[in-house]
Amino acid sequence: MIEAEKSIVIDDAIDSVWDYVQDIRKWANLFPGCRECTVIDEHNSRWSIKVGAGGLVKTVNVLVHVDQWDGPERVSFSYKLETEPVVGSGFYIASRKGTHATEITLKVCVEGGGSMAPMWEAMSKPLLPQLAKTFAGKLKAEIEACAGASASQVAVVTETPSVFAAMGRWLRNLWRAVFGSSKPVDDLIKEGRLP
Amino acid sequence: MLRNLPPKWDLEADVVSIGSGGGGLCAAITAHDHGVSALVLERSDQVGGVTAYSMGEVWIPGNHLAATSDIKDSADSGFRYIKRLSMGYGDDVSILNQAVHGPVALKYFEDKIGLKMCVIRNLPDYYYPHHSDSLAEGRYLEVLPFPAEILGDWQHKTRVSPHVPYALTHEDIFDNGGLANMINWDYSIMSERLAKDERCAGPGLAAYFVKGVLDRSIPMHTGVHVQELVVDGARVVGVRATRGGKDFYVKANRGVVIAVSSYERNAGYAKTLGHQLNPVSMVMPSIDGAHLRLAGQAGARIARVPDVTMLGFHVPGEEQEEGVPLWRGALPFLGLPHSITVNRAGKRFSDEAFYRSVYSALDIIDGGTQTHPNFPCWAIFDSQAREKYPFGSVMPGQDLPEGMGAKADSVAELARKIGVDARGLAATITTFNGYCEKGEDPEFHRGTRPWGATMCGDASQKPNANLGPLLKAPFYAVELHRMAGGGIAATGVLADHHCRAIGWDDKPIEGLYVAGNSMARMDNGAIMQSGITNARGMTHGYLAGRHAAGNPSNLLQKEMDRLGL
Repeated sequence: MIEAEKSIVIDDAIDSVWDYVQDIRKWANLFPGCRECTVIDEHNSRWSIKVGAGGLVKTVNVLVHVDQWDGPERVSFSYKLETEPVVGSGFYIASRKGTHATEITLKVCVEGGGSMAPMWEAMSKPLLPQLAKTFAGKLKAEIEACAGASASQVAVVTETPSVFAAMGRWLRNLWRAVFGSSKPVDDLIKEGRLP
Repeated sequence: MLRNLPPKWDLEADVVSIGSGGGGLCAAITAHDHGVSALVLERSDQVGGVTAYSMGEVWIPGNHLAATSDIKDSADSGFRYIKRLSMGYGDDVSILNQAVHGPVALKYFEDKIGLKMCVIRNLPDYYYPHHSDSLAEGRYLEVLPFPAEILGDWQHKTRVSPHVPYALTHEDIFDNGGLANMINWDYSIMSERLAKDERCAGPGLAAYFVKGVLDRSIPMHTGVHVQELVVDGARVVGVRATRGGKDFYVKANRGVVIAVSSYERNAGYAKTLGHQLNPVSMVMPSIDGAHLRLAGQAGARIARVPDVTMLGFHVPGEEQEEGVPLWRGALPFLGLPHSITVNRAGKRFSDEAFYRSVYSALDIIDGGTQTHPNFPCWAIFDSQAREKYPFGSVMPGQDLPEGMGAKADSVAELARKIGVDARGLAATITTFNGYCEKGEDPEFHRGTRPWGATMCGDASQKPNANLGPLLKAPFYAVELHRMAGGGIAATGVLADHHCRAIGWDDKPIEGLYVAGNSMARMDNGAIMQSGITNARGMTHGYLAGRHAAGNPSNLLQKEMDRLGL
C-alpha cells in the first residue's frame, strides 16, 4: 500500500470549510472529466470519468464510498476502480486554528490488487505526494476565494480543482504510467473534447 | 503545365517539410545544417507523427554501434538480406541506397543533434537464423531515454504513444522477462522515468528529432493542413495550406518534402491501393493519404509492393485523443502460450508467433468458394493466459471488459458463442495441446523463430516460449479485426535515390521530395522488418535535406561502382 499525507492552513473558519466539503455533488461537478456522477445514497456514489492522457482517452468508473461524514472535523472515504484492480482510501481532518483559520490534513492511500499490484503501487508512489500537495493547495485557494468573493463563486468552482480534481490528476498520471501516452488533457479540455 | 502561383506568399523557407515525424524533421535538420533555411508544417496539434507512436526500433545493418560491440555485420550483408527477402518486388538500387545510407544517416544525427542510440541486445532479425545474412543481434537500435522536460514549451506538444510502455527500454523489458511477463517488470524504473518525463521507444526517438529542430530554431507550425502544392510549370515552388479556416501560402525556394506517412485512415485508399477491406487503424486520423493527393497533383507516380493486413482489437472505453476508438495491434499477444488463432472452421492457419505468417495467410482467397477462409478469425486463450499475460491494456489477472470478447466454461460453449465450428475448434485445441507436450508444432513451426520467441513469447515457458496448452477454464475468444499497417502501406509515391518524387515519365519532379512511409517501398519490396520504417524516415530525411540544399550524397554511385551494379 502506498500513502501520502499533507497538511495546510486555510484562512477561513472551520464551519465555512465544512460548508464547502460536505456536499459530494459539488465535488463531483468539480471533478475533471467526470461525465456522470450517480449518487446512490448518502455514502455511495459512482463516478464515470473520462480520463484523458494524450494519445489515450479512457472512461474509468470509480465507486466512491464515504465511510464517515463526521463534520466539520473529519471525513473518511474509500474508492474502487470498477474494472482495474485498484482500491484506495483516505481521510480529511480539519481542526480550528483560531476563529478564521482551519488546518486541514489529507491522507490518501492506494492499494493495487492481483498479480499486477506491484505495478499499480509503484506507479502511485511518486504521484501520491503530488496528489496530497495539490489537493491541499487547491482546496485552500478555492475555499478562501469563495469566502472572499461570493459573486465569483461560479468561476471559482469551475476553474479550481478540489480533492477529487487532484484525484483526477492522479488517475490520469497513473493511466499514462501504465498504458502510455502524454499529457494534453488540458488541450483536450480547451478543445471541448473533455469537460 | 500547372501554374497556380498565389498573389503573395505568407511564409518562406528554402525547404518546407510537410509532416513532423522522423522523415520531415530529419529533412529540415539536414537542410538547415547544409546552409539553407527550413520550416515544418504539421497538420495535427502535436509533432512527432507516427514515429512517436512506434516502438522506436531502428533497424540498420552495418551500423557503427554494433561494430563497437564486436558484432560483425556490414551494409553489404544487410543489402543481401533485404534483396533476397524482397522477392524481386523491390528495386536493387533502392535497397542498396538504404543499405549504404542508413549507417551514414545514423552517424550524422548522432553527431549533429546528439541522438543517443544503443544496440538492442538479443533481438534478432525476423529471419534469423533461416537466412545466411541474418543476425542474432546488432541491427536493432533504440534511443537512450530522452529527458523531455528540455523541450520546454514543446514538451507537451511532442506526441507520445498510447501503444507502447514508453518509460521502458527494450533492455528493461527483456531483462525482466519480456513483453509477456509484465508481472515481473521493474516498475520502479518506470515510475522514476515517468516522474521525470524521460521518454524511450518511439516517443523518445521523436523527441530527439524535435530537439534537433528546436536547437536550430527551425519553425514548426502545428494545426496547418496543407491543401495543395503550388507549382510553377514543371517545378514545385510551395504549398497552399489552411489554418483556422484561412488560406495561407508557403514558398519553398528549394523544395517541398512530403512526409505524412500513409493512407490507412482513408478506407477507399486502403481498399483500392492496399487491398485492405475496411481496416481499423492504430494511427491518428490525419494519416489519410495526403501525400498521394498532393504529389498526384504534380504528376507523381505511385508504386505498390506486396503487403499484409494486420489484426487488431478494441478495448471498450478506450479512445484516441481525437475522439475515435483506439485500436490495438494483436501482434504481441497471438503467439503467447495457452493461445491460438483460429478461423471460422475452428482451425489454426499460421504460426501465431510470427506475424508475417499470420497476416500473409489472412487475406488468402479460396478460388473455389471465393471466400477468405481465414477471415474472420479469433484469438482463443484459456485462463492460464489470462492469469499470466496482458492482452492489450487488459492486465494479467483482469477479466476482459464487457463487450471485448466471449467467455465460456467449455470450448464447445465458447465456439457456440462466437459462431465457430465447435468440433473443429475442439479438435484444433486437442491437437495443439499435443504439440505443446512435445514442444514442437509440426504444422506451422510455431516457436522456431527467435524473433517470435523474443517478442511474442514467454521466455520462462519451457521448452518452447510460444507453446502452452489450452486446458484451464474459463476459455476466452476475442474477434480480431483487419488492421492497417500502422503507417506502413503497400502503395506510396515513387522516388529516386535522392528522394525526389518521380513522374510517370520516370523523371524527377523538380522541387518535390518524399520521405518515410509516404515513399513507395521499393527499398524493401515484399519484406517488412520492424525498425526499417524508422530507419527509412531518418535516411530519407537525410538524403532529401542534402539534395534540396544543393549538396547531394554521392555515396550510392560509389557503392554501385564498387559492386559493379
